[in-house]
Amino acid sequence: MSTAPTSTPPAPERPLPTPTRESQPYWDGLREGRLILQHCAKCEKARHYPRPICPHCFSMESTWREAPLAGRIHSWTVCHHPFNFFFKSMAPYVVALVDMEAGVRVNAPLRGMAEGTLKIGAPVRLAFEPVTKDVTLPYFVAA
Amino acid sequence: MAAEDESMVHALREKAAISGIGETAYTRGTTQSGLALQLEASLRAIDDAGLSPRDIDGVVPYFPGGGIAEDFIANLGLPDLALSAFIPMGGATCVAALQTAAMAVATGVCRNVLISVGRTGYSGARVSTRLQQFPQFALAAEFEAPIGMFAPAQLYAQGARRHMELYGTTTRHFAEVAVVTRQHAILNGNVVMNKPLTVEEHHASRMIADPFRLFDCSLESDGGAAVIVSASDRARDLKKPLVTIMGVAEGHPESPASIAQRPDLLEFGLAKAAPRAFGMAGVAPKEIDVAEIYDCFTFTVINQLELLGFCKKGEGGPFVMDGRIALGGDLPINTHGGLLSQGHVVGLNHVIELTRQLRRDAGKAQVKDAEVGLVTGYGDMGDGSVAILRRAA
Ligand SMILES: [Zn+2]
Repeated sequence: MSTAPTSTPPAPERPLPTPTRESQPYWDGLREGRLILQHCAKCEKARHYPRPICPHCFSMESTWREAPLAGRIHSWTVCHHPFNFFFKSMAPYVVALVDMEAGVRVNAPLRGMAEGTLKIGAPVRLAFEPVTKDVTLPYFVAA
Repeated sequence: MAAEDESMVHALREKAAISGIGETAYTRGTTQSGLALQLEASLRAIDDAGLSPRDIDGVVPYFPGGGIAEDFIANLGLPDLALSAFIPMGGATCVAALQTAAMAVATGVCRNVLISVGRTGYSGARVSTRLQQFPQFALAAEFEAPIGMFAPAQLYAQGARRHMELYGTTTRHFAEVAVVTRQHAILNGNVVMNKPLTVEEHHASRMIADPFRLFDCSLESDGGAAVIVSASDRARDLKKPLVTIMGVAEGHPESPASIAQRPDLLEFGLAKAAPRAFGMAGVAPKEIDVAEIYDCFTFTVINQLELLGFCKKGEGGPFVMDGRIALGGDLPINTHGGLLSQGHVVGLNHVIELTRQLRRDAGKAQVKDAEVGLVTGYGDMGDGSVAILRRAA
């Protein structure tokens, strides 16, 4: 597909995730309004994004556990240029990278906090936005 | 075990040389295909080396995008290709390819390896489309694109913001990199951006992904570039002053396919590659006369200067000020205008410029008496590569 300018731009479509055999439980969790993370069945470490093997102990056995929604800002950006046409009407939007209590990070839009108030370590909470029948995406709000 | 590894790496020191360099015009708007640009640059590099296309027996083309081994055989009539390799490291590819090529010529697998790039980044597919070609971006596509994070500018912006918050780095520091790079570009006849840039113009340019403004971002441009790597003992007989590869290394970060999950956003592959390359070369950062640093973003230069050991972690911002990185300063960088102002051929133009500097063939941008120089690659969410080259004439 060419992105060269044309007189009739294609209708904006939100890019959606294509869950894999590894990641399906994570997306199922979001759809249920829960943060479900993959944990090693042997050494119990959480890992994200999902993958077949624990890089710490090499176990292929994993379990999925519900994790707390609380986290703290690790960093952020404010997206002004919409690299994808779908996000044009939303720009500028803040995307926060957050250290979750479970020890992994989640990257998601941060809503309701003014740009000037953002700080590393600021507490935030994960929330859920259904965007299609099958897909719910995460976002953050101030804690 | 460690000593054994070390001696194996050092066995490569100065065994390979950059024997030929070639590039097309860097433009915005071409009717040529990426492949045609890549082949045109390749012919120029082969001619620069004093070789015939028939002498090329190894190819390491930039991938994805541009030609593959089959294209080089079909177009250049290569009679006996002994090596066809891809290095899927994004912007770190070209300098990492020097390592692969050096291994190939030092062991006798090949005599002359062609590394090449052809790009229609302006007139062809743009960045958001190109990214979908990379399997390494599958995690970003699944977890980050749906929440509005697509482009390198956005994904790297969070690291830049963290550096600012932790160390007090400012957009004034970013601007310095952009302005100095533009000053250097103006001295080079073959650049896309040939008008002076001021700090004020940088600060007034539109915001792309905070803290990156337009003039913090590299160009989308069209062009081709190529480099030939030959065994040093053979390259001695070729046309141009001998420029040898003293040290070269690639490095891969933790959480290589997702910056978001990387323990330290500011530590990437170069942190692992730099000590190996300096160790292999047997030189220290203070012995580097000129450096061509992969400049996909202004901040990326600052971050790499720290990881290379030119300054301490967190001090990269102040380091670039006061003329230090300009021609005549302690460490002139991106003397050709880089990706920010010359053109985006994935940093192969950085290798070409460093070779010119060490041949003392860099025109108005020549660093006086340049003997030892350094070039980096950076890309693919944080892969890194670095080479240290020497004028061995
Ligand atoms: Zn484990």
